Amino acid sequence: MKNKILMIVMIPLVLCALFACANTQSRALVHPEKVTGIPNCTECHTDSWGAMNHRAPDFFQKHGNFASNARSACASCHQESFCADCHAHKEEIKPSDKYKDSPERGLPHRGDYLTQHKIDGRINPASCLKCHGRQNNERCVICHK
Amino acid sequence: MISHQEKRSGCKKGSLLSTAWLVLAAASPLLAQPATAAEYSISGESNTFLRMKSTIDDRNTYPLYEYLRLSVAVAEKDGSATSLHLGAWGRVDLGDKWTQDRVDGDLQYGYLSYHGAKNNLLLNAGRQFVTEGVAAERIDGLSVRSDLAAGFAASAFLGSPVVSEPNFQGGDVIYGGRVSQGKQGLYSVGLSALRSEGDDDRDREEQGLDIWVHPLKQVDITGRSSYNSLTSGWMEHAYTVSVAPMDQLNLSADFSRVNYNDYFYHVTTSALSLNNGILLPNEEQTALGLKASYSPVKNLTLAADYKNFHYSVAGDADYFGGGASYALPGSLTTGLGLHRMSGASDRLQYTEFRLYALKQLGKLDLAADFFNVNYDQRVNDVKNSFALTGSAGYRFNEKLKVWGDLEYSQSPDFDHEMRGLVRVAYAFDTTYSDGRGKSEK
Repeated sequence: MKNKILMIVMIPLVLCALFACANTQSRALVHPEKVTGIPNCTECHTDSWGAMNHRAPDFFQKHGNFASNARSACASCHQESFCADCHAHKEEIKPSDKYKDSPERGLPHRGDYLTQHKIDGRINPASCLKCHGRQNNERCVICHK
Repeated sequence: MISHQEKRSGCKKGSLLSTAWLVLAAASPLLAQPATAAEYSISGESNTFLRMKSTIDDRNTYPLYEYLRLSVAVAEKDGSATSLHLGAWGRVDLGDKWTQDRVDGDLQYGYLSYHGAKNNLLLNAGRQFVTEGVAAERIDGLSVRSDLAAGFAASAFLGSPVVSEPNFQGGDVIYGGRVSQGKQGLYSVGLSALRSEGDDDRDREEQGLDIWVHPLKQVDITGRSSYNSLTSGWMEHAYTVSVAPMDQLNLSADFSRVNYNDYFYHVTTSALSLNNGILLPNEEQTALGLKASYSPVKNLTLAADYKNFHYSVAGDADYFGGGASYALPGSLTTGLGLHRMSGASDRLQYTEFRLYALKQLGKLDLAADFFNVNYDQRVNDVKNSFALTGSAGYRFNEKLKVWGDLEYSQSPDFDHEMRGLVRVAYAFDTTYSDGRGKSEK
């Protein structure tokens, strides 16, 4: 019992001390330059921010790691709705239908996805959960009872 | 008699209203705060969509959607900020019913946020999307993250998972966190964990390791492994190495492995259940990919990619191809791509082609998009599936844009399908600065 009380007291104290000693400057809330289109971050950033180059062929598959590491960096340009367009727990319009005015974006499920989802679901079913989550089956349940 | 589904639906609506009220109540001090703040900004966007399409049973539907997002932020002079973020959509069917409910909607997110001036401190309360290592979850709850001393950072979250119409009930409570250590611009290593608990055997208990290493300006390594401690097995490994030997050239190699028994354990949808006969329970998928892109001139990008899917139970498959894109900002965007899927089964033998263009003529935007899939073996007696879209939009000013598109398609499920969509987008962004009145960005 004494050990538990000691832990309850000590853990917040240690965290407060670590917080106080960190003293880092928070990232900017808003990106200082307005960015339009799909940016190549290396055009301005010569440091490690260049790794977030959105035009790199593998940016799509790496963006989750960046969001996990530095979500506030994403938020300096993107509204929360940008994530929700694809990572939706309940959604009825495909991102590729919602933004036909941005054909250059790598938005998923173009064309006849009713047929294609059976193929993608066989090839890489884990990719479904990345956006739709483990909890979501609002659309699936219509057929998959 | 009330069915379980109705009960859940009632609970869901009650929970949604409670969340909305909680967020608004918590935000009321924020809305009354601008007099003491350095800057007070309100931004939002309304997107209204009218869709016109036929269902698979030949009913004509005209669902009208409204997507609304709103952000109110109060930035203090010391660099900290308090903000409220709301995003929601609603739908009403003007013609035949699109789904079971003529009227439907959802609160996508709604949370109050505090951003500290120091240590990247972030506190969020409400409905939010949490991305912390092994967790990529939408929750109703609380989350906190901050930098700590010696390159350490920590985050934690606690809440209720946001569930919509599950076949199998998900957990009632979800919590977890991530601890990372790194050096700015060089590396970061994170350990994360989550646990979801319910009143039945639908629990989840996962741990994750994530890394980011940037040893040289030209080299970037990212990856993640996640472990299911309830099945005592690795769910997934996914690692990517990126190399940019020169500004114009990007190379990438990736490796991933997914164990179905561990990854799809306790999913709440029957589509991805291991008992439905679609997924093979003991399957293990290993994928190896290579990608390259090269820009011989500033606006032109050429790309090629290859991916091999290996399965321990089912047959293998290769997906490969390439493409090109050309973009003149503010004037022209165009691209094409050709890919081939070559797998062991008939379904995995097809060729995919896409061609698109977007032309801006003053305030008028014109776009065309063609997407074609040619199956080696007919699906529902159809060999060629395509969708051709023509679109036009007009930007009245920076705030208001109207867009319309028509799509004609032929597919294994629809002989001749015509779909239409009209979108009206209105965005606003207003800033009130301390002593400087109102400015609009």
